[in-house]
Formats: sequence, structure tokens, C-alpha cells
Amino acid sequence: MENMSAEAEVRLHVSQCVRTLSTSGDAEEVAHSLHTLVSYLDNESQEKISPAQRDEFNRTHYTSFLKFLVGNLKANKLQLLTSAQCSDLWDGLFLRGPPDQALLVLMDYIASSCPSAGLDRVVGVLERYLQSGRLAALLWSRCQGSFSPDSPQLRETLLGRLVSLPDLTANHLHPHNRPLFLPAQYYPLLARELSIALERTCQALREGQDCSLSFVAQLLGKACVQGHSEHMFKELAPHLSARTRSDMVWQRVCWRLMEDVPERWMESVVTGLVQAVEGPAALSRIMGNVVVKNKKAQFVMTHKLLLLQYKYKTSVVRTLLGYLAQDRERRPLLIQVLRSLCQTWANSSAVRHTPVEQQLYLSRALLVCLGLLSDTELQELRPELLQCMMGGMQCHLDNCLVRVRRVGMVVGECLSARLDTGGAKLKFQYEEDDETRELLSMMDPLPAEDAAIADRPDPSQSNKRSEIKGQSSPEEVTSLTSPVDPVRPAEQGCDSELDSDDELTPYDMSEDREMTKATPPRYLRDCMEALISSEDGERVELSLRAAEGLVRKNSSAVREVSVELTKVLLHLEDRYSTAGFLGMRQAAMVALAVTDCIPVTEYLTTEFYSLNYSLRQRLDMLEVLTLAAQELSQPITEKTRPSQGTRSAANIVPIDPCDAPLHWRKVVEQRIQGKTRRFGKGASRPPASASPNRYAPVAGFFFFPLLQKYDRPQVTFDLLGSDHLVLGRLIHTLGLLMYLAVNAPVATQMGRALLDFVWAVRYHVDQVVRQGVLFAICAVFLSMPSQNLLSELSDHLLETRAWLADVAEGDPDADCRSLALQSLVLLEKSLKAELEPPAMALQS
Amino acid sequence: MAHPPPAPQFTLRGSGAQVNTLHFCCKDPDPPLLFSGSSKGAVHIWNLTTRRAERVLEGHGGASVIWLSTLNSRNTLISQGRDMQVCTWDLSGGRCSVTDSFLTGSVGFCQCSLLETQPGRWLLAHPAAAMEEVSIVDVPSKTLVCSLKADANRGMLMCVKLWQPDSGQGPLLLAGYEDGSLTLWDVSQRKPLSRLAAHPQPVMCFDFDPVKLRGISGSSERAVISWTLDGQQSLQLQDSVQLVNAGVSHLRIREDRKIVASAGWDHRIRLFGWKRLKPLAVLQHHTDMVLCVAFSDHRDPCRRVMAAGSKDQRISLWSVYNEG
Repeated sequence: MENMSAEAEVRLHVSQCVRTLSTSGDAEEVAHSLHTLVSYLDNESQEKISPAQRDEFNRTHYTSFLKFLVGNLKANKLQLLTSAQCSDLWDGLFLRGPPDQALLVLMDYIASSCPSAGLDRVVGVLERYLQSGRLAALLWSRCQGSFSPDSPQLRETLLGRLVSLPDLTANHLHPHNRPLFLPAQYYPLLARELSIALERTCQALREGQDCSLSFVAQLLGKACVQGHSEHMFKELAPHLSARTRSDMVWQRVCWRLMEDVPERWMESVVTGLVQAVEGPAALSRIMGNVVVKNKKAQFVMTHKLLLLQYKYKTSVVRTLLGYLAQDRERRPLLIQVLRSLCQTWANSSAVRHTPVEQQLYLSRALLVCLGLLSDTELQELRPELLQCMMGGMQCHLDNCLVRVRRVGMVVGECLSARLDTGGAKLKFQYEEDDETRELLSMMDPLPAEDAAIADRPDPSQSNKRSEIKGQSSPEEVTSLTSPVDPVRPAEQGCDSELDSDDELTPYDMSEDREMTKATPPRYLRDCMEALISSEDGERVELSLRAAEGLVRKNSSAVREVSVELTKVLLHLEDRYSTAGFLGMRQAAMVALAVTDCIPVTEYLTTEFYSLNYSLRQRLDMLEVLTLAAQELSQPITEKTRPSQGTRSAANIVPIDPCDAPLHWRKVVEQRIQGKTRRFGKGASRPPASASPNRYAPVAGFFFFPLLQKYDRPQVTFDLLGSDHLVLGRLIHTLGLLMYLAVNAPVATQMGRALLDFVWAVRYHVDQVVRQGVLFAICAVFLSMPSQNLLSELSDHLLETRAWLADVAEGDPDADCRSLALQSLVLLEKSLKAELEPPAMALQS
Repeated sequence: MAHPPPAPQFTLRGSGAQVNTLHFCCKDPDPPLLFSGSSKGAVHIWNLTTRRAERVLEGHGGASVIWLSTLNSRNTLISQGRDMQVCTWDLSGGRCSVTDSFLTGSVGFCQCSLLETQPGRWLLAHPAAAMEEVSIVDVPSKTLVCSLKADANRGMLMCVKLWQPDSGQGPLLLAGYEDGSLTLWDVSQRKPLSRLAAHPQPVMCFDFDPVKLRGISGSSERAVISWTLDGQQSLQLQDSVQLVNAGVSHLRIREDRKIVASAGWDHRIRLFGWKRLKPLAVLQHHTDMVLCVAFSDHRDPCRRVMAAGSKDQRISLWSVYNEG
């Protein structure tokens, strides 16, 4: 009965005020009625308002009254009030009432109205609303256990409004948007308010009150799934990590929060949190064992983040795996992860078909995992790991990419070291670089996490800083180490002493070389003889050093012995570990191939397919052919013809053969790219001054013999089978020979043959071969006259384009993709060049 | 861009055999003289003004002359030969006669070392009959002062240097041995003070700077090593400089203690700054091993020259780092 009367009384009162507000023009009256209504919201107001009345007002009248207020903004009632009254009474109505209703009304108004003074006012109120911590009040009101469950619809709307506030305001306010509503400010604010609500929850729990975190969890989930996890967790993660360090209630609140995140949003929350949090212990405190309880979280953490995606930083991987390793319940998951990582690592198809970066990521994860395993676990897993190591090593070492091989070696070494196979450890020779060092460091345990965290400035704990400082804090360490500087003056003293030495200027000492007993050979035949039969390392070295110069100087003498000398050089072994052996040998062979072109190329191209050569020798042959072709293709300048040979020889830097293909590739790709850009701009190319070169007449000798026998496997050499490294290089070489034959009459035939050849291997599994194929295609498109190209391609034109487009989009190897794109551009250009002139002819 | 290394100022030819040792005598009024000892037992006296050999002394019975010095003036020469004799020569007034000689008993290569104790009296350290023994005699009286004998496992005595330290105590002697070690002897107390294993190979040569108490030694390896003598009279390794080719036959620190010259088996003379052993120059001229280097003792530092004697029978004279 009393309730009834309270209800009626409130209704009467409110409607009276509303009437006054809508009709009265008297400032006093308006202010009074606003005041009356505000008093319903304030606990501390003087007027006697019972809690029942207040509840009644909040429940039934508040929203409609606020709607009335904003609806009547145009009536200019506000002008009657002073600005102080305005902000106190009018704004107060929004800032003191139930925060959810106020927010909804404000947002609705913003969403539905056009720019006006009223809108500005409402935006201002919204800003104040956000600034004055009403969001925390809202969230807290939803956390209270006593809160009546509201309709799912209302809940959805509220969540939507809260999460998409920046979008909504940006859409409606355009340039008048406030900085506070921008995502970079709003989401951190939301995160702060969220943590305040959590703080209150903790207090309430301590006081024995029931709370529900489902709304907050949903809010977090929704914000994360919309892509704001970074902003949210940047604020939230350090805070939670600091609070959960010693407080069990906080930990339980956090765990509950994570568990309450709805399934569909779990992934983005977990990913965001894992990335933002510092170290596995913090993650463990915040997440608890949600990974065991929630299937989705488990999938994301044990599978998706490790095996499917590879964009995360190493610290994330460490945090994630460290988290799995921290708790007894989660430990089985770590082992499960290790198993699947191992399987993937040892999967030859995965090694072949995934990008190098992903393999690197996977290897890092695997090593981190290994580092975390305990010895007993290791013993259990030993057979599996051994199996994995054997298979994985094989498929990594089989790979053509140096990087993959090296990663494989490092992981293999680490695996075998960890497994401790009774003395027989794997040990590879690889060049150390940053990548391998980083990989090796993966096995080292993380530094103690708490020490790492303690030195991070935490905004919420600034008052605690002084305490921590009392202990050995990093600042003090640095201040202790900084007085190293005063040592300097002493050193400078030494320096001044040094000056007296410095006043004696050294002479040039470059002539100070090692003494050699033998003299270099003066004649080609002596040189050859030394190379064939000498047992004296010094003499062999001198002969090898002199060989290139002798060949270039005595072209007539070379003709007599060219093939024989080539044979000698090809079979020469580095018995005395001469410095620069490979470079000198290669330079000499190139000089031979340039000086006495046809016999030497005939010899090399035939030998390429013959029995009993090592891969290294076959690759050498290809390199020599390429470099010789490159040198021959330099334009001839008549005057300096005799010295031409030596001059361009100087251009050939003796290269480490391992880098050689990269070297050509780089050079030629630069050229291709240079040209492509010009075509793309549509600018006309400056006509290159035509000049003969020595390569065009002999290009066929270089090219066609290499194409003859590729499909005839031999006992020791199976080009289409296991020797795909050579196949890749062969195609590369052919592409290069093709490219260098630009403008030669034979280019058309070469192009046709090359297209036929590569067509068969264009879907090769090895990326090196695919790169070679695409490179060769580029070369054909560049070198073949466009009319011939079209007539050649006419059958395959569409198919080729589709294939290239497919590769450009979907190949796992980045180089392949970009090369395919290049080819496409070149093809389009040729097509255009071929199809446009007739069109223009028609027009004219 | 560094300057190319200088060419020799002059080359003295005609010694007729490999040049084992050199000694300048340029303090007196002109003409400056250079004594050279050859492997055929001849001592050439070169006039550095006319650049001709003024006289040739034959006195060691055709055996190699391995060390030369003058006593007091240019008129008294002391020489050591492989015939186990140390001879004193009177060269005054055109004479060239051996006035005195005594037998050392040593068949080795070790050169003597001379120290003037008071005007007209010297101490001479010379290798003795026992391989690892060094004897010190009073010159000109030829009385044996003492004999310092190292452990037999030190091996043969390779080189010695005798000097009087500033502290006023008795003279000190440094000796390099075949096992690569250096030993510091206190001559008055007849006992070793310190030992340093400087090289894995025999010590071929060393020189010591009594002012800075620093020395440098060379061996048949690709390095020269510097060491210091600290306050407790103990030898400490200090620094080492790598050479391009192995083998150092002689080392000399210039009197002004700015540079060190090394005579290399690789036909080259190398110069280093003495402070930090910074390599300064590599002089290529000789066509065979360089056996000895010497710096002249001109009173005017600007006229000072460096001489190098080589197995190719030539003596090259160089003017290097003479400015200032």
C-alpha cells in the first residue's frame, strides 16, 4: 500500500515538474523543478525522499524524463538558467542518475540528431559523463549480484553502445568529434574504468557480497573482437598483473573474468592478453587455468597462435609456452604442444610449402618448449623427439634454401644436446648470424619474471616505487655502474702519451706481404703443368693466381690448350686450402670461356650432363657459363678492343660461389625492375644506342646444349628427381642466358625452347625451382620480340596469365610472388605493345 | 694516403761477404766512420763522407766477425770472432795491429756486451766455453770478474746485454737463451733475479732501454715481444706485434727512444714506434736476410742514419724519422 502511494506520489511529482518545464518561462520556476528532480537522484539532498520513492523514480521515470529533457532542448529553456545552474542541474540530471539509462539516452540522441547547439550540449554532457567516472559506476552496477537481471536485449544494446561509442560519435559528429571519443583515448579509459569496477568487486567480495562479472567479461570480449584489444590491454594488462601479484581475491576475480568471456569472443581476448602481458607468471596469474577449462581458449593457445599464425613476437611465444609450463594442470598441454610442434617441424611437406618466416617461428617455439621441459618429461618423450629429429633433420637439410637448412641445423643441434644421446651429439658447421644466435638463445630460461616486472614503471603503483627502490632496484644498479666514466681521464693520459708515437707517421706498408719462395709461372703451359702435377702448394697457388692473367694475355696460346685447361681447372681440388681458391678458379675458367668461346662452352655444356661430377662441379659449370655470357655481352667498343677482355674481367669480382646465383639474380632483377617501372609509367624509353656484342653470335652454343638432356636421368644425376637444386640453378642460368641474348636473332628460338622447357616444371614443389622458372619467364618476356612472343604464346596465353596470377597471389614464397607479378606486368606490356599499333593504324 | 716507404740513402758494396755486425763511430770530428764485420773475418772501416772503405782489417783468421765496438775513441777497436777470440785493435795513426786478444772458448753466435764502469775501464760480458755460461771480464786487464751459469736446460746462450742501472747498485745483465727465456742477472751478487719465458723458440736478439726499463726481443717466430722490468726487478710480458714473415735477426732501439728497428729474415727492415710498438715502416731493399741494424751516434740528431747489413753483402744506409 505504501508502495502504491509512493508510486503515485512520484508520478504526480514528476508530471508536475515536466509540466512546469514545458510551459513555464520563469527561470525561477524552471530551476526549482529541475532542482526537485535532481534531489530524487541525490542521497544527500535536504528534501525528504524515501528510498522507495527514489527507486521508483530511477526505475520508471528517469529515462523518459531524460528523453523529455533532450527532446526539449530546442525550446531554449536552458537560456533561462545561468550557466552554473545549467551545468549543475541540467547536466547533473545525467551525471547522477542510473548511469546506464543516462548513457543510452545520450547516445540515442547523438545518433538521431543533426548538428545543432543542443547536440553540442549533449556531447558536452557525454564528455563529462566519461570524465567523471560514470562508466565505472555503470560497470559496477552490472557487477553487483543483487542487480536485477535485465532483458538480453537491453544488455546487448548497452554493450553495443559502450563498445562502439567511438564509431558512433565519429560517424555523427564528423569534424566536431572530441578527442576523448577517439579510440586511442576511449578504450584505455574504458579499460581503466573496467579495472575500477573490478576493484570494487574485489572489495565487495571481501565484504561477503555476491557479484557477477558476466557483463564486464562480455564488454571486454566485445571490445576485443572489434579489434581494440591492443588499446584495452595496454592499460589493463599491467594493472591486472600488478594487482594479482599478491592478492588472491584479485586473482580469482581475474580468472572468473576470463572464464566469463563468451566463447565466440574468447579468441580475441586471449590473443590480446597474451600479447600485452609481460612474462608467463603474470599471464598465469591473470588467466588462471582457463586454458584447461575452455576449449576455445585451449585451441587458440595451443594451436592457433603457434601453428597457424606466425606474426607474433618471440616474447609472446615465450610468454605463452611459459604459461603452459607453469602449472601442473597445464603441463600436459605443453607436452601436447611440443608433440604437435615436433610433428610439424619434421613434416617434409610443411617444410617445403610454408614460408621461411613461419618455419623460423615454429623453430623458435619448439626450442622454447624444449627449454621448458623437465628431465623426466624429456625421458618420456625421448623416442618421439628422436624420431622427430631424424625426420626433421633430413627434410631441412634437403631443402634448397640456405636459411631453412641453417635453421634446421640449429634446431637439430639443440634437440640432440637436450636429448643427450650419450655423447653422440649433432654438430653442424654453419655461419653464425643474428638469426642463429637468437634461435640458440631460445633454450635459455627467461630471467626471473618478478625481477623483470618490478622495474617496470607502473602508474598505479607509483607510491610503492619508493619501497621497491629501497631494495636493489635497477636505477641504483645503473647509478653504481655509471661512475665508470671517471676512468676516462686516466685513459686520456695514456692517449697523450700515445701522441708521441703518433707524430711518427707510418709509411705505406701494403707491400709487406708474405714471402714466397717460388715465382709465378710466365707461360700458360707451365701454369697448366703446375696445376696438373705439382705437389708444391705454393706453386699451385701461384699458378692459379696467374692463370686468369695468362689466359687473357695470350689468346693464341689459349686456343691450343683451352679445353684441356678447362678440364684441369674443373677437376682441380683445393688441396692446399688456398685463400680465394674458388674465385680464382672460376675467374680463370671464365677467362677461358671468353677467350676461346665455342670449344670451351661445348665442353662445359656436354660435361654438364655427363657422369661422375659432383653437384658442386655442375654448379660451377653453370656459373662459369653465366659469367662468361655476361662478359661477352658487354658492348664492344672498337678502339679498346684488345684490352676489352681484361677490362671487363676487372668487373667480375671473384665471388663466393654460394652467393653467385643471388648475385646474378640481384643484378638482373634490378634491371628488370628498372625497366618495369619505366613501362608502368608509360614513359617512352630512350632509344638505347645499338652496339654489337660478342655474345649474340654464340648465344646458341651456350644455350641449346644445356636443354638437350635434362630428362635423361643418370646413375649419379637425376635432374628431375632429387637434384632439384641443380635444376633450379640450371633454369636460372638458362633464364640469364636468355636475358643476355636480347636483340640477338636467335632470341626467338631460345625463348620458344625455354618456354617449352619450363612449362613442364612450373608446378615444381621446390621454391628454388619455381623461382628459377619465374625468372626464366621474366627473361623470355624481356628478351623475346613481342610479336614473336604472342605467336609463341597464343595457345597458352590465357593459361599462362592465369597461372602467373595464381602464383602472384598464392605462392608461399615471397620471391616467387613478386617475380610472378613482374612477369605479369611484362606480359601485359608486351600484349599492349603488340595489340595497340594495329588499333592506331585502324584509327588513322 | 700513406707515403710510400723511403729508399735507402746510400748502399755500401764491396764487403765481399755477408755483413754480420755494424758499429758507428760518428761522435768525433769528421769523418764519421762505420765499422762492419763480415763473415770472412774482415773488418771494413767505411768513411761515411766519401762512402768508401778506408781500411780493411783482417784479424780473426778468416773466421766470421760477429761483434764490433770501439773503446773510448775511434782508435781502439774491439772485435769478437767465431775463432773464439776477442781482439783489441790499435788504429791510431794509420796503424792496424791487434794489440791484445784473449780466448772466450765459445763456439756460439752470442755477441759480447760492453759496459764502461769508469773512464778507461770496461766490463765485457762474453759467452764462455760452457754453452749456457756467460763470463764477465775486466777490460783492459782481462781479469775474470765472474761467471754466471744458468741451468743446463736453458740451452745455449743467445744474446746478452750488460748495463748499469740508475739505482746505483751493481751492474745488471740480461741474457737470452735457446729455450726462449730471458734471465736477469745481478752481476755483483752473481745470482739470477728474474726469468721470463718470452718465446717458444730461441731468443735471437733483444734490446733493452735502461731508461724506461723496457725491452724488446725477437725470435724465429712471426712476432716481436716487448717486456718490462718492474720495481721488484722482475720481468713482465707487455705487448707483442705480429709480423708478416717469421724470423728476426737483430733489434735496435734508437738512442732517442723513439723508434725500434728490426732486421728480418724476410729481407726487410721494419720500424716500430717504441712507445706502443706501432708499426711505422717496412723497408724493402735487400735481396737476402738482413743480419744487423745500427743507429749512428752523430751528435746532431738530424744527421743520424740507420745502417743495415745483410747476407746479400751490402750495407744500406737510411735516413728515417730524423725530423725533430
